Amino acid sequence: MPQMNLAEALIDGLIWSLRADPRATIIGRGIAGHGPEHAAEDRLKQEFGSRIIDPPTSEAAVAQLGTGAAMAGARPFVHYGTAVFAYEAWNQFINEAANIHYMSNGQLSAPVTFHLFHGIRGGGGPQHSGSPYAMYANNPGLEIVLPTSPRDAKGLMRSAMASNNPTIVIQNAQLLGLTEDVPAEDYSIPFGKAVVKRDGRDVSVIACSRSVIDALEAADILEKEGLSVEVVDIRTLAPLDVDTIVASVEKTGRMVAVDETYEICGVASELIASVVTRAFSALKTQPVRVGRPMTPVPFSPPLEAAVNPGTQKIVDACRRACKR
Amino acid sequence: MAKPSHAERLELFRRMLHMRRFEEMVIRLAQAYEYTGRQHLHIGHEATGAAVAMAMRAGDKIHTTHRNHGYVIACGADPGRAFAEIMGRRDGLNGGKGGSWHLCDAERGFQSTSAMVGGSIALAAGAAFALKLAGSGNISFAHFGDGTLDEGVAYESLNIASIYELPVLFVCENNSKAGQRPSSMLAAARLQDVPAALQIHCELVDGADSDAAQIAFQKAADRVRETGKPVFIEATLERWPGSHQVKAAFPTGVTDLSLALNLDKVEGKHADWIKQSDPILRATRALIKDGVSDLVGLLEMDAKVNLLMEDARSFAEASPFPDASVAFTGVFAS
Repeated sequence: MPQMNLAEALIDGLIWSLRADPRATIIGRGIAGHGPEHAAEDRLKQEFGSRIIDPPTSEAAVAQLGTGAAMAGARPFVHYGTAVFAYEAWNQFINEAANIHYMSNGQLSAPVTFHLFHGIRGGGGPQHSGSPYAMYANNPGLEIVLPTSPRDAKGLMRSAMASNNPTIVIQNAQLLGLTEDVPAEDYSIPFGKAVVKRDGRDVSVIACSRSVIDALEAADILEKEGLSVEVVDIRTLAPLDVDTIVASVEKTGRMVAVDETYEICGVASELIASVVTRAFSALKTQPVRVGRPMTPVPFSPPLEAAVNPGTQKIVDACRRACKR
Repeated sequence: MAKPSHAERLELFRRMLHMRRFEEMVIRLAQAYEYTGRQHLHIGHEATGAAVAMAMRAGDKIHTTHRNHGYVIACGADPGRAFAEIMGRRDGLNGGKGGSWHLCDAERGFQSTSAMVGGSIALAAGAAFALKLAGSGNISFAHFGDGTLDEGVAYESLNIASIYELPVLFVCENNSKAGQRPSSMLAAARLQDVPAALQIHCELVDGADSDAAQIAFQKAADRVRETGKPVFIEATLERWPGSHQVKAAFPTGVTDLSLALNLDKVEGKHADWIKQSDPILRATRALIKDGVSDLVGLLEMDAKVNLLMEDARSFAEASPFPDASVAFTGVFAS
């Protein structure tokens, strides 16, 4: 089995998608980011150069180009680079792509994939560190996918490109270098299936995207203190696999929800709500929420670290949940 | 292209009458039912809508703005299902989920109506992109008003269509020059200056002159098919006085074709619009003058259209409201 980093796996998933479907087309460049993993994109350009366009800096029209093309039979993949750029295409994501299937009563659908890099990336400052997926999740009609491993990235990308719905694949840019064995052949990972990344007895950390990696690190630290932490990666925010989340909390009796989006109306809040409204009695202690505090993301490294819901905050939250 | 035949001119007029009588029935239904939502009537724009619909071929796609009723009818949608949609009924074109603003008839290439200013122009560029990729030889049509050029996404979409040579016909209905608040504010002297600066071929047509519109839109669509590149047509129109309907009303009265030959009898505040700017009356005069038909023949056609609209109304009225459970279905495609 070949080793791939996450960027290579994303590209591999795309390549399989383009091989499988002649309607698939790529709009955008820098799909593997602009960091050390950027060269992963070369394979895509070599095999499918004629099916890639590099559009002008017109985020709104490019989103609509993809949406309109999807409605007319194409399968566009639209890349945005930094997620905050897609704020320019808010109307196009939310009001056009997400609505068309419903408001046409199923006559039309918009099978477009939007690909974004989100999150604190080191020096992004207030305007380049955004994680907009909680805001996307607050709207019906969008599938939201958050890969955290190379294997998942490939299989989830494949499902995104095969989906008949507008799908946002939103990737924390800092994970692009994660490396593991990835099957060389074509495979898909279905949406709406959370995965238990680490078994534990004492507390469930429910997380997505970058926070999954931080939670695994926190679990290692806490293991040395004798705390057994279970880590659940939701993988897709929409659809959300509440069954797996609830099953984990029922097993451990304690819950920490952690995610990079803002605490207020953020993903961690929703995760907690999804458990307390379904399995309140399973909770032995009050659930703990870890999210980004309600402040813009500052530039200076120690300030940036202060607002990041990283490993140490998860460790502290688990101790609180377990009353340690 | 050759001047349209008598049969083609009559077909255009038939579609225009469908559009006009449909909208008049919408006003009557609004008066009778006081239903929710707001209608953006297409009265006064019939010549452009019908000419665009006649320039479409099977497999072409069209996106319009929310001033969409005329286009969906001109494309051949069932008026009964269109009324039912506007009334929020079960048998509506969109099952009651879209309403007046979002009429959709995908089988006829009527992709959808975006009620966001700038939506249709950008979606149509996308449709053209897909059609070009598929290599079918089909083209897309973008209908929008002059106000769309106030939007950034319109500029972006025109630019993209030009750069990638997308086969799209941009149809701008410019009715901004009426005495009300202008519907667009552009620093450029002419709307066409914007697409022209982006190297898009532009044409200008009197949108109330059905003969001119029929020729211009057919020619423009042919050009898009032949060159594979976008064309921008600006159709100038005098805004219908009832265009902004807060309360359903007939400010220019119910259309009477026989007035076309009795313009001296037209009086009142809106006499100028009726005499000079109503495309239905102008077409009536032209068809009679050119010997394509006579008033009796056109009145017979009109009577048939009126009967059809009565039947369509009955269909819509008989359709029940959808079951509330339907509200929760169809968010995602399977």
